[in-house]
Amino acid sequence: MMRPKISFDDTWYPDFAERMENDGPWGDFQLYKLAYRAEKELLLPDFSDLAAPRHLPHLELFPHQIETAKTVIEKMHGKAILADEVGLGKTIEAGLIMKEYMIRGLAKKILILVPASLVLQWAKELNEKFYIPAVPQRKAYVWEQCDVVISSIDTAKRSPHAEIVLKQDYDLVIIDEAHKLKNHKTKNYQFARQIKKKFCLLLTATPIQNRLDELYYLVTLLKPGYLGDPESFFRDYRSGKNKVKNEESLRRLVNKVMVRNRRVDTGLKWPKRIVEFFEIPLSKEERTLYDSLNTLRKTEFVQGFSLLTLQREACSSREALYMTIKKMLDEQASERTRLHEIMAPILANIQNATRHSKAEKALEIIQALNGEKVIIFTEYRATQLYLQWFLKQHGISSVPFRGGFKRSKKDWMRTLFEKNAQVFIATEAGGEGINLQFCHHVINYDLPWNPMRLEQRIGRIHRLGQKEDVHIYNFATKGTVEEHILKLLYEKIDLFENVIGELDDILTRLEIVSLDKEIEDIFASSESEGEMRIKMDNLTSVINAELAARKEGEADGTTCDSSVFG
Amino acid sequence: MEQLAIHQYLVDYFTAGGCQILECRPGFLKVKLTVALDKLLMNRPFYWHYIEKIGREPETQVLALKTVQTEEEGDFIHFGSPRLHQIFASTKNLARYVRLYEERPANGKTQTPLYPWLGMNVKVSFQCDLKKDFLFSLGLNLFNGTILNHFQEKLESLPLTPKIPDYCYTLTPMIKPQSGLRRLEAVIEQVIAQEDFHWAEEARERLQNDLDLLERFYEDLDPETYGAAYEKEKQSLIDLYEPKIQTHIINGGLFYLTEHAMHNF
Repeated sequence: MMRPKISFDDTWYPDFAERMENDGPWGDFQLYKLAYRAEKELLLPDFSDLAAPRHLPHLELFPHQIETAKTVIEKMHGKAILADEVGLGKTIEAGLIMKEYMIRGLAKKILILVPASLVLQWAKELNEKFYIPAVPQRKAYVWEQCDVVISSIDTAKRSPHAEIVLKQDYDLVIIDEAHKLKNHKTKNYQFARQIKKKFCLLLTATPIQNRLDELYYLVTLLKPGYLGDPESFFRDYRSGKNKVKNEESLRRLVNKVMVRNRRVDTGLKWPKRIVEFFEIPLSKEERTLYDSLNTLRKTEFVQGFSLLTLQREACSSREALYMTIKKMLDEQASERTRLHEIMAPILANIQNATRHSKAEKALEIIQALNGEKVIIFTEYRATQLYLQWFLKQHGISSVPFRGGFKRSKKDWMRTLFEKNAQVFIATEAGGEGINLQFCHHVINYDLPWNPMRLEQRIGRIHRLGQKEDVHIYNFATKGTVEEHILKLLYEKIDLFENVIGELDDILTRLEIVSLDKEIEDIFASSESEGEMRIKMDNLTSVINAELAARKEGEADGTTCDSSVFG
Repeated sequence: MEQLAIHQYLVDYFTAGGCQILECRPGFLKVKLTVALDKLLMNRPFYWHYIEKIGREPETQVLALKTVQTEEEGDFIHFGSPRLHQIFASTKNLARYVRLYEERPANGKTQTPLYPWLGMNVKVSFQCDLKKDFLFSLGLNLFNGTILNHFQEKLESLPLTPKIPDYCYTLTPMIKPQSGLRRLEAVIEQVIAQEDFHWAEEARERLQNDLDLLERFYEDLDPETYGAAYEKEKQSLIDLYEPKIQTHIINGGLFYLTEHAMHNF
């Protein structure tokens, strides 16, 4: 057995000799002891087992996450595809592996490539959850001078960045949303292939296993040659156009480089979503107000989408509507314009519509919950303010929340809600950051145009760590645009029963960049009710088809998804 | 490291660093930093540059640290917090070299001889794509060649002082410190040789496997175009798997000890 050569530390003696020569300076023995003590604490007495959890006392790690990190480090030698089902915490797993390698001194220079929209979120999570000083790349010098850098692949692959990146010697490279590299002919793939790296983690949200060529090229990125050359690989494993053969052997191969945890296997209790829709009739005065907006249709001031905006505001609260109209009027040159004239009756209707049918419904629900905590999401600040006032009239304490709050204020509001208030009224899903899992009731006071936004809202509380079933109350006012959205969109996509992120994934697949925009366009450009209905039907049926395909894949044991990688 | 131990560590650290302790109770510590520690810990080079340039009296910062969450003020310090790791790292810079003398109550007016020892704390790491450490604390009597293990623990039981005590004199080393260092390295090598080296063999196997795959992958590709890529990837595999053993000297120094101390070791 050949013992590796020992390289002895030769940095210590020269300074020591100099101090003997010069009679000092000598260090303090207390500090000398403390240095030894620190080193003893940081010692890693075993090749195996994770040291990182001891460094992360605040982080709640789930057994499958710890197991995954161990498998990747000990069995896969730090080259792995992390392909957990959505919502199981792939980024936590990646962070944990990264932290372990950093603690062990095995990785120092690290590059993290993520979609541009996720750069800041990754930076925040690594800094806050893992105490890893990861830096978003903004200036060219960052590549060379910072140890842990986060960037989008689109930036990194461009000159002059690409040249610098390809000169670096990375210990670890992490690529999030790696399925986007599926096409090996793209510049992105070629670039990723050229980066010099020891360890490498590829994170993918989609089950790549259905797509043989994606699988082949991702594994090749990780371990060139592991699946052989493309020709022999496809000859051995592809049958017909897109089916898999020799599944057993492929499964064995791939299981050595890929971890895919499934929700059902984690043994975690995944809370249910219990969704209720409320079609709320408008009061007589609200109805009058809403209908009076139709008078704007034929004017030159308010067209297409703007009218829709006003209508949606009217569905939320007269306050929200008033704010927009007031702003329009303030922008006028004088106080006696044609617009003032047109708006006068509407403003009168706003005056009259003192009852808020939705607010009453919300109150009813909140009171029935006997003090259990509730989150209300609304799209409008004016509605938020009104609701806060309204609930207070009925002795219910609430805290407001907006995406624009500073971090410290967000945390403070969250604490207030947890300790002192029953209701949390938010205008922003706030995409990232605050943990509201102690609450399991959500009222969607008005429905956003983009179902993804709704998904994000619910995702704040329906996630790992939520112990109760989650109740979701969706409000839509009867006989309004909201009812349209509800009927045309929400009821057709089996949205709420689907698990977090699945929709995001589908939209990515379908290359629908912004569903918002898509729906706005349909509403704004449709000449008639009928046209709108047809267009919305098309949209929802495409989404549903993809959903159904996926379900089938999961239920049917013979597809490659479950048979090859189950 | 338990929170209690961390608190004690912080108290010891700032006391040893000569900082004024402003408040200290279980779970909370507030100190006024010395100039040296402010420079080392607070990361404000521009301030120091400025102050030194205009020659003004510097104002060092006050640092509040808590080890229980219930305290309101201060950074929360736990085993993973960057501040603690910064402090850990600073101890090595502050005290990598020492020279100390054992202090015994004077025995009448007789002169006591002190024996020179070279003491060293060394971390040894086995590394491939995995890593494992050992800690050695060794002492070598430079007068007679005696070698002791667990030297640090023994030193910590002795009264030591940075100045040579009255009525003591030091014996001249028969072994030069530099050859002493070689002797200690030889000891480390001997001890390590007893270890199991399966890990290294397995790492080499992994390396060979991956190199074979890589070679086959590039076999039929044009070396003109792909030669450089192949070499780069090959080097990455070697960097990843090639087993190595490294030593790192945490700290060390000269210790002048009585014969009495040596008998009790």
